[in-house]
Amino acid sequence: MTDSLDANLQNILEQAVAAIHASEKSAQLEDLRVNYLGKKGELTNQLKQIGALPHEERPKFGDKVNAVKQQVAQLLNNKKAELEAVALAAALAAEKIDITLPGRGIGSGGIHPVTRTMQRIEDIFVAMGFGVATGPEIEDDFHNFEALNIPPEHPARAMHDTFYVETEGQPDGSNLATEGSFLLRTHTSPVQARYMLNEKPPINIIAPGRVYRCDSDVTHTPMFHQVEGLMVDEGISFADLKGVLTHFLQQFFETELKIRLRPSYFPFTEPSAEVDISCVFCADEQGETKGCRICKHTGWIEVLGSGMVHPEVFKHVGIDSEKYTGFAFGLGVERLTMLRYGVTDLRLFFDNDLTFLEQFK
Amino acid sequence: MIISEQWLRDWVRVDLSAQEIADCLTNAGLEVDGVDRVAGAIDNLVIGRVLTVEKHPDADRLNCTKIDVGNEQLDIVCGATNVREGLLVAVALVGATLPNGLKIKQAKVRGVESNGMLCSASELGLEENSAGLIELDADAEIGQRVDEYLQLDDNLIDIDLTPNRGDCLSVQGIAREMKVLADGDYHPLDIEPIEPAIDDTVTIELEDPTHCPRYIGRVIKGISQDAVTPLWMQERLRRSGVRPISPVVDITNYVMLELGQPMHAFDLAKLEQKIIVRQSRAGEQIKLLDESETTLDGETLVIADANGPIAIAGVMGGARSAIGDETSDIVLEAAHFTRKSASGKARRYGLHTESSQRFERGVDPSLPPLAIERATELVLQVCGGEAGPLTEQKNDQGMLAKPAVEIRLERLISLLGMQLDESEVGDILNRIADSVSGADGVWSVTPPSYRFDIEREADLVEEVARVKGYDNIPTSMPRIVPRSVAASEVAINVRQVRQSFVARDYREAITYSFIDPNAAALFSKEAPVKLANPLADNMAVMRTSLIPGLIGALQFNANRQHDRVRFYEVGATYHRSGAGFREEQKIAGVIMGPPVKAQWDSGKAQNLDFYDIKADLEAVLALTGHQNPIIFNEFEHIALHPGQSASLNRNGLNGHNDFLGWAGRLHPSLEKHYGVRNVFAFELNLELALRAELPAFKSVSRFPSVKRDLSVVVDNALPVASLLNSLRDELGQVLNKVELFDVYRGTGVADDAKSVSLSLVFQHQDKTMTDEEAEGLMGAALSILESKWGAQLRS
Repeated sequence: MTDSLDANLQNILEQAVAAIHASEKSAQLEDLRVNYLGKKGELTNQLKQIGALPHEERPKFGDKVNAVKQQVAQLLNNKKAELEAVALAAALAAEKIDITLPGRGIGSGGIHPVTRTMQRIEDIFVAMGFGVATGPEIEDDFHNFEALNIPPEHPARAMHDTFYVETEGQPDGSNLATEGSFLLRTHTSPVQARYMLNEKPPINIIAPGRVYRCDSDVTHTPMFHQVEGLMVDEGISFADLKGVLTHFLQQFFETELKIRLRPSYFPFTEPSAEVDISCVFCADEQGETKGCRICKHTGWIEVLGSGMVHPEVFKHVGIDSEKYTGFAFGLGVERLTMLRYGVTDLRLFFDNDLTFLEQFK
Repeated sequence: MIISEQWLRDWVRVDLSAQEIADCLTNAGLEVDGVDRVAGAIDNLVIGRVLTVEKHPDADRLNCTKIDVGNEQLDIVCGATNVREGLLVAVALVGATLPNGLKIKQAKVRGVESNGMLCSASELGLEENSAGLIELDADAEIGQRVDEYLQLDDNLIDIDLTPNRGDCLSVQGIAREMKVLADGDYHPLDIEPIEPAIDDTVTIELEDPTHCPRYIGRVIKGISQDAVTPLWMQERLRRSGVRPISPVVDITNYVMLELGQPMHAFDLAKLEQKIIVRQSRAGEQIKLLDESETTLDGETLVIADANGPIAIAGVMGGARSAIGDETSDIVLEAAHFTRKSASGKARRYGLHTESSQRFERGVDPSLPPLAIERATELVLQVCGGEAGPLTEQKNDQGMLAKPAVEIRLERLISLLGMQLDESEVGDILNRIADSVSGADGVWSVTPPSYRFDIEREADLVEEVARVKGYDNIPTSMPRIVPRSVAASEVAINVRQVRQSFVARDYREAITYSFIDPNAAALFSKEAPVKLANPLADNMAVMRTSLIPGLIGALQFNANRQHDRVRFYEVGATYHRSGAGFREEQKIAGVIMGPPVKAQWDSGKAQNLDFYDIKADLEAVLALTGHQNPIIFNEFEHIALHPGQSASLNRNGLNGHNDFLGWAGRLHPSLEKHYGVRNVFAFELNLELALRAELPAFKSVSRFPSVKRDLSVVVDNALPVASLLNSLRDELGQVLNKVELFDVYRGTGVADDAKSVSLSLVFQHQDKTMTDEEAEGLMGAALSILESKWGAQLRS
């Protein structure tokens, strides 16, 4: 009796295994689950036959049936997981797209390279504790020249090809360079004078903005940008000027470049210095320059003008030059932009050619 | 200024190469732009004499010459027209290599043997183009090396002088500087007074001794009309960038280059009675040496004779009294014109000359007597003639010695931030000036008469720093009292605005502040600020709007195959304001082409319209966090489409209604004018646009809201904002939100009407909104729209 039941049980198991194995869909597996394990399923029926067995054999047979039930349930679960995995893989394969097609949407523009450089210059100086000041672009003769120790007959005026502005009673532009005349500022230095007239030391500011010179050729545009810097306090020295500019230039170019100061001449500073950096185009890893076209084979590139504030300027703005000293500098934004990004033609900055601007994100 | 190395070495001996001299000058503030070799040493190039010249048998333009080069006689075929018997020439022997790379070989020229070449100045590297053979002076020794005779092994040092160093505009000046900088062995010229051979003088009237404190004249009679400028002098002039003209003119130029004193020479025969130094009279005419006619103003110093002006003092001589081929008697002039009198004259008359350049920067007032003796010596040597005595008129008051300047060691140390030794400073000061006295770290320095730039202590500080070398000044970091402040929160940063436009696919442009007056007039009726001296007619007025410049940039790109252009710019506009001027910071933009780039799989590209630019502005302005929305009102502007433009207003915090600016479509006539289509633009006042509000918390209702949609049909011309505003005003707080989600025109809606679909959200702060209540509110909403705007519920 037991033997035939055992044989039957074995038979059912074999059928179940074969059926599960042959299944291709999860619905088939559900049917098999009902057929074998359901309330009326074949294995459940087997358990019902347990009454026909002698008492001592019942537990053993019961255990056998339950073992088979568990085995079938396990097989069904495994097969189900297997089929789901296959189905998922198929679905994923069907949903595969070409991820190299371009993204849709509006895209993004970019800021002008000159603005980019101005922001960078501002960031470096603001991080050092400098404030940012501004002033008018239509300036008067006093702030642009006189207050900066450039009186009317000064030869330095010839270096500033000045645009004058027509005012009432002087419509034909005659006798332009007179007191009280208005002009387009030729540098950002008048902001120095304006700031010092209104504020007391300690002063440390930069003044970025547009400036104008009546000149246009391959290396000059009639409008360009400068950033003026001014620091005035007790005990400010030429060595401090060197320190601040070295710090700025090394931060700006993100390299331990060398700087060189050469005596120069600006009416509003004394001593005055032209500042060169070691050429960033031909320097090797040790910072040694070989000389190239851009530095005219000198290894040095001129980047800005600077100096100690002239006592005459302090006099004009009412600051005691015995008590306070200071330095000022002016740097050309286009020039730094060209050096930083390798732009070779100044005039590109104001053509607003998209082919050029699109290179700056 | 270009200076010849060899000439400089005649004046100062330094143990430095040409490049080292250049570096030394550059490091001391006399920036050297370049060092150019003249020719260098050339072997097998010797001086020869032309013995015979015969026509070449087979070539009309060639001659067969026999040349004596000392140790032999050579047959050389020559094509130059100035070849003639007796001429001393530069002979390139077989084996020579000329500066242009030409190697001289033995050759047959049209069948005739030629054993070398006779050279022109250009073949020796001395000038760009030469008409014929270089003609050597009679003192040339046959057989001598030409490179030695002509000092071809020379360098030209090009110095870019700053305006304060007029004293260096001469060989003497640079030599003095090398003495100071490199402790060179300085040999100034030993200039002896010339003994007068005749008694002739010229009368000089100094009417303006303030502007001309010194004027020296001298008559020289009987100069030779056949004289030629010696080659060595011509060469030095040429190497200094001055073209040789005639012996007397060349000599005055030579002395100027040598000593720094500009000079002039008049033809005595053409001079009427006397020389008068005076201010010009307004309207006076003068014909200048360059043959140009100039009308003088009333404040120009001139040299005149009894008949009128014969020179603009210190700028250029006149044609009437000029030296010519027939001149035999001359008057030499060496004068001191002050910087003040010279200033601006070159610019006013458009005459930038070697002379004006020097007087504007300041010429040593002690130079004229030396210069005139030196020039006389050279004239007598080159042209012959007999010199009269000097006539000098001067005003000593106008040439006072420079006052002494004090310099303190302590100040020097604190200003430079560098330790300095008292004896070293004393030594440097003594190199700069002849008269230095002082003790205990304070010196009194009397600047030399040629140093106009040393007026105060700071100037001497620079001198010491310069001679010591800026490289030797240490580097330190000052203590900085912060001046940077965190930005206020009631304004957003312009960088945020820039970045927002960038995120919306705008590119930043920078356009010129001055624009074409015709373009300006198309965009504004405001009278713009005009430039008195514009660079060009199309850059003659200051912009009152950024748009003309931006449209120009847009057009530039549209013409270069860009069909989608989106620009913004941040910058000032310029306006008259009473007697003065006012600047306003603006942000403006122009856009053209599809709102979104043509893309795959997203249907046809849409046309740009007003709502695209409006969306950009709403999104960017939303950064300001204002509680009150931007109000778009219909707007009229000469440059904009009358039906597609709007003003932007916002109720500010203090009840002000701020006019931020405008947005709209470019007027079709302007689109036509610029050859562009469907362009939209905006311009906002930057300060007002950036004004922000701090976020103000409102309690968040915990009770559920009810959302209902409503579609009504209204008159086509009715602005939708009217519907939304009525609902907000009348329903009050319970209306949590009302939004438009569709506008429909077409089938089912009358031609002159549109269907507007709104979504309303109702919510209480303190209780749940019931459906019944919401139904009631929807009824109220509909009746508001019906009664105020004649709306009908869309069926």
